[in-house]
Amino acid sequence: MTDLYQAIVEGNAKAAVAATEAALARGENALALVQQQMVPAMDEVGRLFECEEFFVPELLLAGRAMKAALELIRPLLAAQGAEPAGRVAIGTVKGDLHDIGKNIVASMLEGGGFEVIDLGADVPPEKFVEAVRDRGAEIICLSALLTVTMPSMRRVIEALSAGGVRDKVKVLVGGAPVTRRFAEEIGADGYGENATAAVTLARKMVQAA
Amino acid sequence: MTSRERVLAALRHQAPDRIPVDFGSTAVTGIHVSCVDALRRHFGLEPHPVKVHEPYQMLGLVEADLQEALGLDVEGVFPRKTLFGFANEGWKEWRMPDGLPVLVPEKFNTTVAESGDILMYPEGDLTAPASARMPNDGYFFDTIVRQEPIDEEKLNPEDNLEEFGPISDEDLEHIRVSVEAASQTGRAVLANFGGTAFGDIALVPAPFLKKPKGIRDIAEWYMATRSRREYVHAIFSRQCEIAIANLERIFAAVGNRVDAVFLCGTDFGTQTSSFCSAATFRDLWFPYYKRVNDWIHGHTAWRTFKHSCGSVDRFIPSMIEAGFDILNPVQCSATNMGAEHLKNDYGERLVFWGGGVDTQQVLPFGTAAEVREQVLERCRVFSRGGGFVFNTIHNVQARTPVENILAMLNAVREFNGQAALAAGV
Repeated sequence: MTDLYQAIVEGNAKAAVAATEAALARGENALALVQQQMVPAMDEVGRLFECEEFFVPELLLAGRAMKAALELIRPLLAAQGAEPAGRVAIGTVKGDLHDIGKNIVASMLEGGGFEVIDLGADVPPEKFVEAVRDRGAEIICLSALLTVTMPSMRRVIEALSAGGVRDKVKVLVGGAPVTRRFAEEIGADGYGENATAAVTLARKMVQAA
Repeated sequence: MTSRERVLAALRHQAPDRIPVDFGSTAVTGIHVSCVDALRRHFGLEPHPVKVHEPYQMLGLVEADLQEALGLDVEGVFPRKTLFGFANEGWKEWRMPDGLPVLVPEKFNTTVAESGDILMYPEGDLTAPASARMPNDGYFFDTIVRQEPIDEEKLNPEDNLEEFGPISDEDLEHIRVSVEAASQTGRAVLANFGGTAFGDIALVPAPFLKKPKGIRDIAEWYMATRSRREYVHAIFSRQCEIAIANLERIFAAVGNRVDAVFLCGTDFGTQTSSFCSAATFRDLWFPYYKRVNDWIHGHTAWRTFKHSCGSVDRFIPSMIEAGFDILNPVQCSATNMGAEHLKNDYGERLVFWGGGVDTQQVLPFGTAAEVREQVLERCRVFSRGGGFVFNTIHNVQARTPVENILAMLNAVREFNGQAALAAGV
């Protein structure tokens, strides 16, 4: 039978659910399933993406398989009181409806053991402030696909400062037109050129905190 | 040289008298309506609201007087219907969210959602579910995905083929009349017939259909190219047969008054990588691209135009082998897409239509001097031995300063040895 690791890497959601159900029925520990199979599987997916054996379709399929398994595991994790690797709020900025990239980053972060608060698309700055203030987000990930919406990223950072929470959160930015230079200009804490870079960066930030 | 001769020389990889320039001939070489409005004001052209002839990206019609003022060399021919399924006719006034008055087709019917977003309807039918929305402070529409639950057992390729069928007499007559008019302008004719885009992600959600069936969700479609490949093959195969039958009828109606034909806008590149491997491209797209190109090159004198954003270096050899003559938008800022590399490695076999200036950073946010510098450099590289039609890398985006657009156009003229554009009024 396919194990959870293999099912996720192969992007097979049905097999991922079956493997998870079987593992839980055998009495395997939920947190161990996450740490020993799910996170390594998504790391492998990220590695295959980095070396261009995997592309967007494979990331989406793996993300879906991972999520299907996580749906079964999440209630058990909560019951165990397991702590996530970190808490991330993510969204596309105000004016930008393009959320495929954001969704991929969200699922890679989730598969990397983070708790992800997905604020969706076209998110006004105050929603990011609330995610930090009220929901304890330690990292904010901002996505923009459109040239005309990049300035909205700056407005989120300004809103975090105005809301008095800028020093409580790290801000990562990404999306097709976004560059490292732009990230520095607007005072973001990091720039990820793709989903795996975002996960690596998020891990570094929670480790440094 | 006339404009048409200039473009044809470039397409034959011969050095024309000067670099030909295109703005407005396709939905990917256009100018946002707000910038068309600003240009018209700059040149003191007859004041009137600009027609939005491509309502998805809100591209402004570049009318004859502005074409003249900008010195443009290409005339576009467009299908009768827009991406929202209504015809470009019966113009009425509409206001952009920032208040700019524009003209839109009579069936450009919108409502305002609770969120303040502007909703757009297929065929202008307000009783159908909305198929696109523009944020309340936005400049473009984006599709609303309307995906019925997918039952793997019942997936039928016919459901994804609803939008492809024999061309109607009305549409054919529209193309015939449009090509006739375009060919009278003295400019090269670039035609957008439709029906030959295989899996273009802007078209998959079918914002023109009232009740799309099949796979219409964007992520589902991308996954299907991996996990349901036979299904996608079945769609492409049938679509290809229909397209070639339509091209036969179109060619019979317009002949070689068309110089180039826009075939497909499917994006294969991302900023740093691609949406699939070169092997997947060969398996899933190449056979259909080759069939369409083979038919065109076997029966017409049309050059074929392929648009794909992003890093597409890995696909270019296959695109050339499939028979494409022209690549657009030539996104030099993407990985492995440097101008020198592209020109040196593919310049003798491929015409670069675009690549003139970056529209993500330099044109909208750079200084006029930075714009000039990049345009001069791109002209120097891409124009060697012809094979270059100047255009920005994709459409000129909303909020691009008119000073930068003028700096771009004047840099091309400087390279061409022409006088700068009139200062405007």
